[in-house]
Amino acid sequence: MSKKKGFIKTLFSYITYKEKKPVKQFYIPETDNEDTKTEQEKNNTVKSQKNRRIKRPVPVSESSKENKPEYEKADDEKISISIEENIKYIKHKFNSPANKDIVIRELTVAKKYKAFIAYIDGMVDRITINNFILRALMVNDVKIDEDSDDKCMLDFILSNILQTNQAKKVDNPDEFMYEILSGNTLLYVDGCDFYISNETKGFDKRGVEKPLIEGVVLGSQEAFNENLRTNVTLIRKLIKNNNLTTEFIKVGNVNKQLCAVMSIKGLTNPAIVEEVKRRLKNIKSDMVLGDGILEQFIEDNPYSIVPTILSTERPDRAASHILEGKVAILVEGAPFAKIVPVTLPALMHSPEDSYMRWPYGTLIRIIRFIAAFIATLLPGLYVAITNFHQEMIPTELLIAIAKAKENVPFPTIVEVVLMELSFELIREAGIRIPGIIGNTLGIIGALILGQAAVQANIVSPVLIIVVSVTGLGNFAIPNYSLALAARVSRFCFIILGALLGFYGISIGIALFAILITNIKSFGVPFFAPIAPKTKESSDLFFKKPTWQQMYRPDYVNALKQKRQAKISRQWTEEEPKYSYERDEEDD
Amino acid sequence: MIKEGKFGTAEATYLITLVIASKTFYTSIRVMIKNTGTAAWYMTLVSCLVSIIFFLLISLVMKRFPGKNLVDIFQLVTGRFFGKILTLVFSAYYVYYAGSSLREFLEMIKAYNLPYTPPSLIIFAFMAVVIILAYIGLESIARLASVSFYPIFIGIALILFLAYPYYNVRAIFPIGGYGIEETIKSGFFRSSAYDEVIILAFIINSIDGVKTFKKVGIYSILISGVAVVFTCLCNIMAFDYTMASENVSDLFQLARVIYFSRFFQRIESIFLFIWIIASLITVGLAFYIAISIFCKAFKISNHRPLILQFAFLTFMVTLLPEGLIELAKINIVVMREYSMIIIYGIPILVLIISVIFGKRGDRQCLKSVK
Repeated sequence: MSKKKGFIKTLFSYITYKEKKPVKQFYIPETDNEDTKTEQEKNNTVKSQKNRRIKRPVPVSESSKENKPEYEKADDEKISISIEENIKYIKHKFNSPANKDIVIRELTVAKKYKAFIAYIDGMVDRITINNFILRALMVNDVKIDEDSDDKCMLDFILSNILQTNQAKKVDNPDEFMYEILSGNTLLYVDGCDFYISNETKGFDKRGVEKPLIEGVVLGSQEAFNENLRTNVTLIRKLIKNNNLTTEFIKVGNVNKQLCAVMSIKGLTNPAIVEEVKRRLKNIKSDMVLGDGILEQFIEDNPYSIVPTILSTERPDRAASHILEGKVAILVEGAPFAKIVPVTLPALMHSPEDSYMRWPYGTLIRIIRFIAAFIATLLPGLYVAITNFHQEMIPTELLIAIAKAKENVPFPTIVEVVLMELSFELIREAGIRIPGIIGNTLGIIGALILGQAAVQANIVSPVLIIVVSVTGLGNFAIPNYSLALAARVSRFCFIILGALLGFYGISIGIALFAILITNIKSFGVPFFAPIAPKTKESSDLFFKKPTWQQMYRPDYVNALKQKRQAKISRQWTEEEPKYSYERDEEDD
Repeated sequence: MIKEGKFGTAEATYLITLVIASKTFYTSIRVMIKNTGTAAWYMTLVSCLVSIIFFLLISLVMKRFPGKNLVDIFQLVTGRFFGKILTLVFSAYYVYYAGSSLREFLEMIKAYNLPYTPPSLIIFAFMAVVIILAYIGLESIARLASVSFYPIFIGIALILFLAYPYYNVRAIFPIGGYGIEETIKSGFFRSSAYDEVIILAFIINSIDGVKTFKKVGIYSILISGVAVVFTCLCNIMAFDYTMASENVSDLFQLARVIYFSRFFQRIESIFLFIWIIASLITVGLAFYIAISIFCKAFKISNHRPLILQFAFLTFMVTLLPEGLIELAKINIVVMREYSMIIIYGIPILVLIISVIFGKRGDRQCLKSVK
């Protein structure tokens, strides 16, 4: 019977309306800062408000209670002299115990001074802490007992006990927070109103590896990594000069990324350094990660299509620019140095130009300029010629192109856009593709940009050559951002070429020339040695031999314009004093 | 006062030279050869000389009022009311100049390259760039000029050189043309073709004072003079004076005949690039100067709000002539043969008035220079 009832119920359930059971879905509520305050904090504020309202004179009998030594609370302004207060403050600031990263280890120094060390787990080197802080503090009982009449032991500990290479006093809460966050260990002893910060950074980092983007045949094979200290050292290794100055600035309100500004005092124009520092200090944003984001915050013309800051992963390149009187900006966590100010020709240079003898350097530089021209204009010119100026094509070639196009059903512009898009697709996929299946991409690419497309009569073979050469040209541009700018402008030129032929392309060229000549990189016109015309440069399109490059670039207004003596090869002038004379028999 | 930025002697020279010399791309050479026959090439030297003399006279005006541009000087000498009227004449002339040059360019490019493209599209595209040039300001035009100066002049030299198989030196005889009287008369009036040099007097605050003004002016007239002489000479040698006076654009025709082999022929389209960029600079500068003069006359500090209105006026002027014939008979004749009466005449008149009434730049002028 019950079985039958169940069956009927099920049957009814199919044909009757049932209200859906409401499912609670997750959403992120809008909250004010006020709501996030804990109950206790709310009570405190209420209490304090009450206290403020009722202010009674203190009776004499109770006044002794008021004078009782009560430790000041630690807050954002000062450090308390009570150990409990300080532990509480640090725990509160780091959201402990919810936040498990912060470690506070309490100990007793010389069996009578309460102390603690605080650090962030994983950011520190444990061996240093164990051997040179903890052991030093806990083993040297005798030493401390000798001189124990001082109220605050930290000064004594700093100069006698601690065995870390860098240790300094910190008496500002903001500062000690930053010390902990950057991987240092704080030491506090009861009764003091400051901390000691020990350098114990020990987080994992990548080693110095080969450059991935700016590879060269001749020249150094070192590249920056993500650690700021290493990067600064890599540059300092190349410029052994006491005037090479590194200034640190924190950017980003929440992530407080450390930036290093490197320049040579007495050589770099101080105005550039000041301007760089001013711009860095005035970034009001929660997050500044890596140098790509930093670049967007500090560049002169955020809407310009070309980059106005040079980004390099090579320490030697950064060093050579610093020696020219420019400023390098390094950011923690980014394997690049940003060089300012730069000009367009500087973006087209490669470090290899200087490492080679000048005839080869000049030749490859000219090839690179031709490559940039091809990468930007070739498809646009092809569209313009085939649509508007067929008479320009030599007759035999015209017939060949016409024959090849005979079976293709698309107009030239569709063909070009199709091929360019698929090429871009291959490039983008090539970067994003997981390494394990990377090999397949080559096969697919060859199919699209190759015989298969021609055999299917989708595109004409001439176009494949055009697109491939354009791609090659793009890869030859040494600066990645500039290559991207060339990619973007290529599409503009294709459209202009399709609409108005050479007329459209000329207008596009004029427009680009106007825009490029009117942007600045940290006050330096981007097309500097040419427009506006400044002093002739020895290293622009053609490269003079290194020993003839007497002056630094004019546009940076370096404090010392001359970089080498007029006769840099002094040995050619000197009369050699050989210890032997040539005999006739020597020949 | 409108802020125009500063640029050097070289940039100013490139700018003015390009504006004057861009005429070689247009009908100018044809008209010269038509008027004076085989004497055309040295007729233009007469024009150069006349222009230099007038220019030196104008530089006397500028010297009397150091630190002041021509607009200020008009107002100082003839009073605010008449000064403004004189200035407006110049402003109107440059709108006319920009419009007519644009139309001339349009007719050429329609005849030679884009016969099926709607003219309005060509004008719109051209005006868009001109507007951007004017929007960014004088510095941008000067920089564009200094970037493109060498490519343009190398381009012209290349055309003249590559056409050498067609040169027949005997064609320059009879060397007297239609007679010395006709040559000098024509040369005197054709000095209008060099009168863009007056633009320097309006932008004297952007270049470095009267000395640079003089230097830039004379250099620009001479360099462009040489360019015109050679183009003219080569055309006479290549086409004879009879045929050369019938081509619409002689330089383009010259580029067309270049033939070295079956592969290396019909390359005139390549020269389109320099032709178009030179035209952009010419029209852009004239357009900007029209606005700039207007702003200076009425003490308007920002020229940008006026750009669209002036663009509209220029567009109207462009569409006024019915066709190439009307353009060649009225606009171009006014621009290249009679404009000197206004362009050189008014400043010289002002010079005479200032001399008669003993008006000079006061100490304040000198101070502002320092």
